[in-house]
Amino acid sequence: MNLLRFYGDHAREAFGLLGQHLVLVGASTFLAVLIGVPLGVLLTRRPAWRGPVLGLANVFQTIPSLALFGFLIPLPFLGGIGARTAIVALVVYALLPIVRNTYVGISGVDPAVREAGRGMGMTDGQLLTMVEIPLGLGVIFAGVRVATVVGVGTATIAAAIGAGGLGVYIFRGVSTVDDTLILAGALPAAILALIADGLLGLIERRLAR
Amino acid sequence: MTGGLSVSRTVGRLSAVVLALFGGACSHRDRIVIGAKNFTESDFLAELLAQQIERRTGLPVERRLHLGGTYVCHEAITSGKIDLYVEYTGTAYTEILKHPPIADADSVYRADSLEYAKTLGLTWGRPLGFNNTFAITVRRADAEKYGLRTISDVARIAPRLRAGFGYEFLQRADGFGGLARAYGLRFAAPPTAMDLGLTYRALAQGNVDLIAGNSTDGTIQALDLVALEDDRHYFPPYDAAPVMRTELVTRHPEVARALAELAGKLSAAEMRRLNLAADVEHRDIAALAREWLAKNLP
Amino acid sequence: MTPVLEVRDLSYRLPGAGDRHLVTALSFSVAPGETLVLLGRSGSGKTTTLKLINRLLEPTRGEVRLQGEATATLEPYRLRRRIGYVIQEIGLFPHFTVAQNVGLVPRLEGWPPDRIAGRVRELLALVGLDPDEFAERSPRALSGGQRQRVGVARALAADPALLLLDEPFGALDPITRVELQREFRALEGRLGKGMVFVTHDVREGLLLGTRLGLMHEGRLAFLGTAEEFRRSNDPQVKQFMEAA
Repeated sequence: MNLLRFYGDHAREAFGLLGQHLVLVGASTFLAVLIGVPLGVLLTRRPAWRGPVLGLANVFQTIPSLALFGFLIPLPFLGGIGARTAIVALVVYALLPIVRNTYVGISGVDPAVREAGRGMGMTDGQLLTMVEIPLGLGVIFAGVRVATVVGVGTATIAAAIGAGGLGVYIFRGVSTVDDTLILAGALPAAILALIADGLLGLIERRLAR
Repeated sequence: MTGGLSVSRTVGRLSAVVLALFGGACSHRDRIVIGAKNFTESDFLAELLAQQIERRTGLPVERRLHLGGTYVCHEAITSGKIDLYVEYTGTAYTEILKHPPIADADSVYRADSLEYAKTLGLTWGRPLGFNNTFAITVRRADAEKYGLRTISDVARIAPRLRAGFGYEFLQRADGFGGLARAYGLRFAAPPTAMDLGLTYRALAQGNVDLIAGNSTDGTIQALDLVALEDDRHYFPPYDAAPVMRTELVTRHPEVARALAELAGKLSAAEMRRLNLAADVEHRDIAALAREWLAKNLP
Repeated sequence: MTPVLEVRDLSYRLPGAGDRHLVTALSFSVAPGETLVLLGRSGSGKTTTLKLINRLLEPTRGEVRLQGEATATLEPYRLRRRIGYVIQEIGLFPHFTVAQNVGLVPRLEGWPPDRIAGRVRELLALVGLDPDEFAERSPRALSGGQRQRVGVARALAADPALLLLDEPFGALDPITRVELQREFRALEGRLGKGMVFVTHDVREGLLLGTRLGLMHEGRLAFLGTAEEFRRSNDPQVKQFMEAA
């Protein structure tokens, strides 16, 4: 009830923060796909890099967010405070599931199909775009889905670096021991995560067939 | 000020219950038990007081450090689980006695002493000498370039500055809103809301030009920052002072006398240095307390 | 007449595996309309030989010529589009329809769509699949025999001079296998292509081969017509015949 009254009084602000949150998650997931999918493809071509690259992506995930922000603040271009730094951090966290699933999805393509494609004269690029990516798409997309859903939760930390989002309510609530405020941020984030999971799950099932 | 105390209040309540359940077993009336809140400065002050009592009176002192937040320590002392701990005047005034914040240090201290003695059976010792309040902080280079010494000095050039504040400072009744009104501060853009710890780094790196830190935070010194004087006395006082069970003071007046020696001896700069030594250089607080006593109260 | 395929002194050694030769000093040729069957146990180097011909593996020594042209001088993918390739696992693209599978190489070669469509119908009819019924199906909706028919049609799509077949009927049930073998035999005559057909089944080899080669430990132990094969006194051949 307190929560409803709170939203009633702060509707504009709440929608603004929700919008910021969506932009943070959308932009970071998009960039993570742009970086992670080619990286995953590269790993299928350079198997020796798999261990180091996946290991590094794994380590990235374990860096506490405040520590990561601490590292990022002094960096030129990527760093500073605000949305850009938050997006960089969120991309760092989103990379692992996308790189890993791209690698797994493409490696999982039936070797006979791959051999048939090469044997019939597909170039490596044609094999990738016409066969491997379409067939691995279900698995690749599952990685994007995980990255997005986790990202919705993780994006609440953007509020620690002045990038706004639903985390603002959580940080305010924690600093003033106000449970309603904490809920005002946490609840929509959780609902958003569920919605994203459901929608992307639908698409994923269609892709995996 | 009470950095991070209110955050842990919920946890504090839980600890209070645990303390009530298990604490009773270890209360000995022949020794003095000192408590501390759950952050470095409070631990250090408890250790300092404990050593001072031990060397002046020879009474054994049991340390119960890092207990929890304000609420836990208050519960512990009123129920007799501990005999004393260091509290901040403003915290007692607003959090325990539930008064709206006021600026005058003496009024706050007098009200605390009077009400604690009358209703709680507790006695305030003399303040140790530093005020752990919000500290409006800028880079030393800017302070020198613009000749900034006080917050009033900042008001002149505020439109050229970017501010970054922690969420607590932006939300509190005695935080940014009142400060801006009291000094007529108008920044280039609305202050950036961010994690308190990160504001120091953002300031040092030049991402923001002005932050609100804690006046005794060691980082201020470590990062070559300058805390500006609150010349209009906007922030309520948060003077650190020992709070003792009155019953202890009557039974062992020599304890109160030993602690009185510490009154006014510990400056904010000194406290900053000690916090830095403990937190950043990871020095042992017992050793730090011993050194400080040997140097300042031989 | 220029042979479709000439193989001279072909050898392949696993990179870095010391002296282990998988194929040693192979020489043979295949004329148009001729089917060379490579027989041998598993591990004797049959499949490796096929991959050396279409450069899925690079020979360590020797030369392969396709219609008189040294394959080493061609881009591997260009070479492969001139050679039909059928494997036991078939390897149909599960996300393509039957028609898309069959029309793949023409599509890679940039044929106009209506020409591809015509070619696909022609080929499906050739391998005994009604185009109207099968063209738009998913490979998943086909039986094993139907899939391999599609596999053969796909290999023929761009009208290659040479066909490489690696145990194409090896995974089929006996009845389907015999049926396909019979049809394939009829096709051989009509197509007039050079073929290299790998199998470990002597009866299949004798049925389909113009000539038979027996591979043993990477070498060609015997090479001759079906009749010569039957009558050979070569101990390897005899052993192989008896085992079968």
